[in-house]
Amino acid sequence: MTGTIKRARDSDRWLLAACLGVPLAALLIFFANPLATVVAYSLMEPDGQIGLGNYASVMAAPNFWRATANSLVMSLSTTAVALLLGLVIAYATQRCRVPGRALLLGAVALPLLAPSLVQGLGLIFLLGRNGLITKLLGIEINIYGFWGLLIANTLYALPQAVLIIAAALRSADARIYEAAEVLGSSGVRRFFDITLPNIKFGLLSAAFIIFTVTITDFGNAATIGGDYAILATEIYGQVVGQMNFNMGAVVGILLLLPTLLAFYLERVATERQFGSGSEAAVPLTPAWTPARDLPMTVAAWLIALLPVVTIGIVVYASFVWLWPYRFDLTLRHYAVKISGGYEPLWTTVQVSLGAALAGTLLLFALGFALQRLPRAIVKPIYLLCLLPAAVPGLVLGLAYVLTFNAPGMPWQALYGTATLLAVCNMMHYWTQGFLTTMTGLRQVPSALEETAASLGAGLPRLVRDVTGPWMAPTLVSVFFFLFMRSMVTLSAVVFLVTASVSVASVSIMRLDEAGFTSQAAAYATCTMAVVVLAAGLMRLSLRLLGRGG
Amino acid sequence: MQLQIRNLRKAYGATIALDGVSFTASAPQFVCLLGPSGCGKTTLLRMIAGLAQPDGGELRLGTQDLTLVPARRRGFGIVFQSYSLFPNMTVAQNIGYGLRIRGDAPERIKARVGILLDMIRLPQLADRYPWQLSGGQQQRVALARALAPEPKLLLLDEPLSALDAKVRTELRTEIRSLQQQLGILTLMVTHDQEEALTLADRIVCMRQGAIAQAGTPEELYSRPTNRFVADFMGLSNMIAPEIVRRLAPHLLDGDAPEADRIACVRPEDIRLDASGTGARIQQVQFLGNLSRLRVDWPGGELIVEETGYTQLRPGMEVGVAFKADRCAWVSAS
Repeated sequence: MTGTIKRARDSDRWLLAACLGVPLAALLIFFANPLATVVAYSLMEPDGQIGLGNYASVMAAPNFWRATANSLVMSLSTTAVALLLGLVIAYATQRCRVPGRALLLGAVALPLLAPSLVQGLGLIFLLGRNGLITKLLGIEINIYGFWGLLIANTLYALPQAVLIIAAALRSADARIYEAAEVLGSSGVRRFFDITLPNIKFGLLSAAFIIFTVTITDFGNAATIGGDYAILATEIYGQVVGQMNFNMGAVVGILLLLPTLLAFYLERVATERQFGSGSEAAVPLTPAWTPARDLPMTVAAWLIALLPVVTIGIVVYASFVWLWPYRFDLTLRHYAVKISGGYEPLWTTVQVSLGAALAGTLLLFALGFALQRLPRAIVKPIYLLCLLPAAVPGLVLGLAYVLTFNAPGMPWQALYGTATLLAVCNMMHYWTQGFLTTMTGLRQVPSALEETAASLGAGLPRLVRDVTGPWMAPTLVSVFFFLFMRSMVTLSAVVFLVTASVSVASVSIMRLDEAGFTSQAAAYATCTMAVVVLAAGLMRLSLRLLGRGG
Repeated sequence: MQLQIRNLRKAYGATIALDGVSFTASAPQFVCLLGPSGCGKTTLLRMIAGLAQPDGGELRLGTQDLTLVPARRRGFGIVFQSYSLFPNMTVAQNIGYGLRIRGDAPERIKARVGILLDMIRLPQLADRYPWQLSGGQQQRVALARALAPEPKLLLLDEPLSALDAKVRTELRTEIRSLQQQLGILTLMVTHDQEEALTLADRIVCMRQGAIAQAGTPEELYSRPTNRFVADFMGLSNMIAPEIVRRLAPHLLDGDAPEADRIACVRPEDIRLDASGTGARIQQVQFLGNLSRLRVDWPGGELIVEETGYTQLRPGMEVGVAFKADRCAWVSAS
């Protein structure tokens, strides 16, 4: 009898060790290791010495300072614009009575379904030299450069801004607003005296996210940045153009600094938001107020129209015979011959499936183990799991090249394989998946787990009968999140593709670079179709799970 | 300053929240709107505040028709159950908010806030934020915030319900003394009859959107006009007229009761006589300051309360005596 119990306890301990060990090993080999390699490369001087020589020469180059200044100006401008537009959308959907609320939020979220180059492509079809608006109005605009990039980046960052600000606006106690009203406060005053101060940390948090997303984005800059050089394109140029890995590493490290800072401040802001928030006693239901709701409806829908038109035009253009001269509909652009045809798209689907499956399993195992381990062990692992979010995709991609393309290392065999692409994507989006998993695990009632344990269930049974079923919706969400992000990402994988193994977003970029804009649009449309299909599947599975549970 | 409410009506779809409510109240009364949840008492308070609009009826303060005045121009003070302090403002800023809206000079606001902080006995907490305060402290700040602009009418929406028992009784006394000191007409919504009994000059007891009975606490307790009020105001023994006629004819006082009326006798108005006969003790509960007994009586089961500790024990035979002047005849429905 005691023997059986001991065996069961031992097997539990082994399971727990595996749950912790495998994800931790993955994090160390595929995240910490490459990151350390970038740092090492940045410190390795051409003559083999260790020092800050590379930093000195990067800082001495005028290009670098121009790119840095441009990156900062661009990121700050995008932050200002996207924050304002995000506030309008979030306020309209949370605190006003606007028609088509769900549709509005869906429209703003569209860029999440598309590779980040698509905003740029759409703007080119609208405002480029052969753009629809340019031709119709007969005006000459140069969309390549600051303004084009600003619009593209704003569209790209807007969904996340709206998500964060809307969350901050959601928790409101109607009584607080009524108390203010009875004290004589007008609607406008209530907004400035109560609403705005109370979402201060949400706004701050959104600002940091927008800033980080913008300063690290590569896709938009590659399509529509034109001569407006920024740090992201600078790294790409150094590495892919000039094969100067050490310099690329230096710029990568320097790019890491603002994102780490923004990331740290964002965490602080999120925690503060928690401290000052009061639990909503009576949820706020906005009453129909024409003076507020009519202008907000118009404003919100005008903003939401931007991503719809920008992405819609890409889909439309992919079917047009010869943009902008012959608008007959055709499928001819879908016959993509160059850069491997549709091979990269299938590779992307496989890579994304791999990243999603491995990521979900590893995250669940890690979360399950962390919940059962002492705090002293959990804390550092938790911090390590937050770090990937602070590392720009470009830096991660560069780190992977430097690490896995180094001859003589045991893991070199991985270079140039789809597996490495999958691993890279998994690490790139690790943090968001981790946070979602942990939130889900925290909601599993501990009483239920304790009941199962006291009934004699070992850990494997517990996972199968209690934790697993309870976590199913969360895991489905994590799976599809990883899949969809992996389908559209460009910044990290752009360094890892080879002639034989490539991905969809790189194909879109290559087609666009080669001047086959319509084919790029067709390719982007196919990619979006896969992502939309995945989004539909996610909804379906969540609904089925909801009914089953 | 007199508040006049006449035939106020309100329906939310098919549900009738207020079904023709009328009453008047004037300073310096403390009026409690008492009733179970869903009786319309909160709707009535919100209507007076201007936070809900009536479908019909009159609402006047003095000569002013309130239905034409938006909430923020009525100049009332309101306190909610959930404290509802502005989380982004300090205690002092919360209290001074109404004055700031009004456009008072900063030094005037400071002086007034100081007076109110002393009044609620929390001058040391002026620079704290709401989340740093206990529930009782938050509610006192909410009270000060409502009183700061010297409102014509103070509205309290279950202000004590979220607090624990000890703080509740403390704050209850404090609210009452503040109200009397300021002489302000106050309306409080509550579902707690004990709270209403101890605080109110007048109680408006509501049921299903209508007034069941309005009067002084003493009237509602001792002379309820209907069974609903009698039950709501505390424990009582309801005795059918034929039983009274048979077993306690002196309660009839010679008159025949009106049709559809039953006798309501409070537990403390029945005396048990250990040397008497005719009834038997079933159960004794000792509640500290009183003892509650269940007595088997030929007319049915009676609940009797005696002050302090009783010597009576289950199974003992006792005689039952009703205090003649303490019986109310209430409508049975």
